[in-house]
Amino acid sequence: MGQSTGKKQHYKSMCRMCNDHCGINVYVENGRIVDITGLKEHKWNHGRLCGKARLGVDLVNAPDRLRKPLKRVGNQWQEIDLDQAYDEIAERIKQIQQQWGHRAMGVWKGEAVGFLTQEELARRFAHAIGTPNYFSNDSQCYVGRWIGYALVSGTWAEPDFANSKCTVIWGSNPPYAHPNMTQSILQGRKKGGKLIVIDVRLSAIARQADDFIQILPGTDGALALGLARQLIHDNLISHEFIKNHTHGFEAYAGYVEAFTPERVEKETGIPAEKVVDIARKIGNARPKVCIYVGNGLEHHENGINNVRAIACLDGLLGSLDEEGGGFIPEKIPLRSLTLYDEKPLQHLDPIGADKFPVLYDFRKECHTMTAMDTILTQKPYPLKGMILTGANPALTNPNSQKVMKALKALDLFVVRELFMTETAELADYVLPAATYLEHSELHCYPISQSICLSPEIVTFPECDYDYMFWKKLAHRLGASDYFPWEDEDELNRWILKDTGITIETLLDHPEGFEYTPRHFHKNKEIKFNTPSGKFEFVSDYLKSYGYPHAPAYIPPTYMTDPNPEYPYVLVTGARKLLYCHGRNHNFKRCRTAVPNPEIEMHPDDAEQLGVNTGDVVTVTSVVGSVDIPVTVVPPSHILPGVTQITHGWKESNVNLITHDDRNDPIDGFPLMKSLEVKIQRKNQVENP
Amino acid sequence: MRFITIDITKCVVCHNCEYACSFQQTGDFKKADSNICVAYYDDIKICLPQTCMHCEDAWCMEICPAAAISKNETTGAIEIDSDRCVGCKMCILACPFGNIHFDKSNLVSRKCNLCKGEPQCVSACISGALQYVTAGDSCQNNREIFQRFIDAIPII
Repeated sequence: MGQSTGKKQHYKSMCRMCNDHCGINVYVENGRIVDITGLKEHKWNHGRLCGKARLGVDLVNAPDRLRKPLKRVGNQWQEIDLDQAYDEIAERIKQIQQQWGHRAMGVWKGEAVGFLTQEELARRFAHAIGTPNYFSNDSQCYVGRWIGYALVSGTWAEPDFANSKCTVIWGSNPPYAHPNMTQSILQGRKKGGKLIVIDVRLSAIARQADDFIQILPGTDGALALGLARQLIHDNLISHEFIKNHTHGFEAYAGYVEAFTPERVEKETGIPAEKVVDIARKIGNARPKVCIYVGNGLEHHENGINNVRAIACLDGLLGSLDEEGGGFIPEKIPLRSLTLYDEKPLQHLDPIGADKFPVLYDFRKECHTMTAMDTILTQKPYPLKGMILTGANPALTNPNSQKVMKALKALDLFVVRELFMTETAELADYVLPAATYLEHSELHCYPISQSICLSPEIVTFPECDYDYMFWKKLAHRLGASDYFPWEDEDELNRWILKDTGITIETLLDHPEGFEYTPRHFHKNKEIKFNTPSGKFEFVSDYLKSYGYPHAPAYIPPTYMTDPNPEYPYVLVTGARKLLYCHGRNHNFKRCRTAVPNPEIEMHPDDAEQLGVNTGDVVTVTSVVGSVDIPVTVVPPSHILPGVTQITHGWKESNVNLITHDDRNDPIDGFPLMKSLEVKIQRKNQVENP
Repeated sequence: MRFITIDITKCVVCHNCEYACSFQQTGDFKKADSNICVAYYDDIKICLPQTCMHCEDAWCMEICPAAAISKNETTGAIEIDSDRCVGCKMCILACPFGNIHFDKSNLVSRKCNLCKGEPQCVSACISGALQYVTAGDSCQNNREIFQRFIDAIPII
């Protein structure tokens, strides 16, 4: 319960305007959320909040928020009763599954509405109604890095920045992407640690870097292998760790031998002497080295192996499970809601699992890009219905034209959303969702080994929260046994049962309840979660699928096979303050601050194209074209020939030109960050 | 009495402080309305947030012909009473640090007032570059930094 202070009630909760889960105070007046401030005692953000957090007030009270269930009748939306909507949707799901088989339905979980439980609930529902087809944005974001690290070390360690002697931020911009990391990164630097930033663009964090290494898009693997070679040659490696805890060092050391500083210079554009210098800085700081890899490493043709190459550096440096290095958190025994043991359904051929088995093996994730082809071609089998919650693939998946065509072709498309998004506009039914402030959910902070509970603060009629949504549908589909809990409170108690922690304890600890104290040096006793039980410089598992044994480097196509018609390299997806992927663009305040999309461009390129900041250009790839205003950035911000467009703008949707069919062969991630484009000035007469 | 300190080795010019200040003033995210201003000097790689220092001997206050500027005895903030301000811009000329700006819509001078002792720029500073501390805290902090510097010097 909230505490009353005067007229206002005060609640303590967690922010979900990005994935950082900062502690917040929420103030309610006359049943309406009026303010959000930083929760000082919270272990993660210590009361500090970025500009997105208070936008939660705008989100929950937004005038354009969906409050009523809608049904498409012809080209019109018709308001319908919520129960009737559930009845009709369930009926149509039944029809589809009877006619085309259980697997003809899909479930798609987005990021916009909740925390951790929402994913497991969506997975549970899919399997409960007999389909293995669970989708999310994880087939094109985050999971590429996760798998890259998991292949090597069985986990993705949490960097202990605050105690690091050398931090490497590689393809990530924490101030915009993970605001709170910034505090601990700079705390480490303040204590004398070095900060090295490797990026295509001079990002916000790069402004404080001791060394900013500007790299050509998609060539990171070559740099990582070159650093490894140099570390080995300079004997700046942890022999103890390599000897006792690793697999395949000899083969790996043999592979990296070809990556001389001169070769690295040729591949990456980074001067050879800089490669040597960086390797020595990292090596001399070992084992207190944090290497954090961001989304910049994904969305390349050789993404996974580039990430593996970087992950292997932790093994050379012996930084895993060391203070100031990579912290390996102990897990809390929360009960899992997924049904992979009881009802694995793998025999039903989850979509994409045949093409990208590693993605499915590691994450039980179907491949959204393959799903679009499946819908359109009905091969290998028909996919006729989709229930999507809090996602906007029409804007955020590559090749938007195809995405929209596919989603429109579905027999049943149900979208549960907060706003009428570009995706919701394609649906047969749109149901209003509840925000993170309207339901109660558990979340974990592995870095501090603590757990929190966000309380339900306000509610709106007909805006069902995740559990209620899935439960109501499941009960209509004969799957009620899988959703027996009365409400979220009962569900949360069931999830917590084996931990010995109660809901009441969590409510008493809004700052985060430490489930077990942190300690390092666990790997002396425990095995790495890999097939060999060791840190794997080479992967026998990948080899068994016919993938490279060592983290092989394959240069991007724009370098090996340049297409003179498309001379520029386009990077997409750099994070911007105030926006989070496709979200927040409907808030007036955000538009005041950042009013329009932009293509970031080097002054030399702008001069060559004859454009200035504000001029509109047409950017064209093999896939399509998009018109977008130019921002000419200072010369140090981006390399000539390289450009950047941030996704999420419907006015200039960059995913109209990204590739859904050029994928990393291992995890199936699409090419969105080193793609070849041509840029032409848009005729000023057309655009007065 | 506390004041805002700025650590230029932590600022990343994310602009969160400017938006938080603007929001506090007007409910919108308009950087021009912010009383804190952050600059990045690309050629020398310097990140520099600037806001009022609330001088003990405040020249802006001294020169104001309308007696619109006074010291808030609770927070120590030098504040402009916009109802009294006549828009003569003398304070802007007097401030040696350029920390007062002119609000063209309302024709008055604007500056930081420490948000009644809860400066929003500090709460929004995700890098930790801005701190709201007493002079004693600040001295202590600087001593610790200096001590680390001394400790790092090799003994010959």
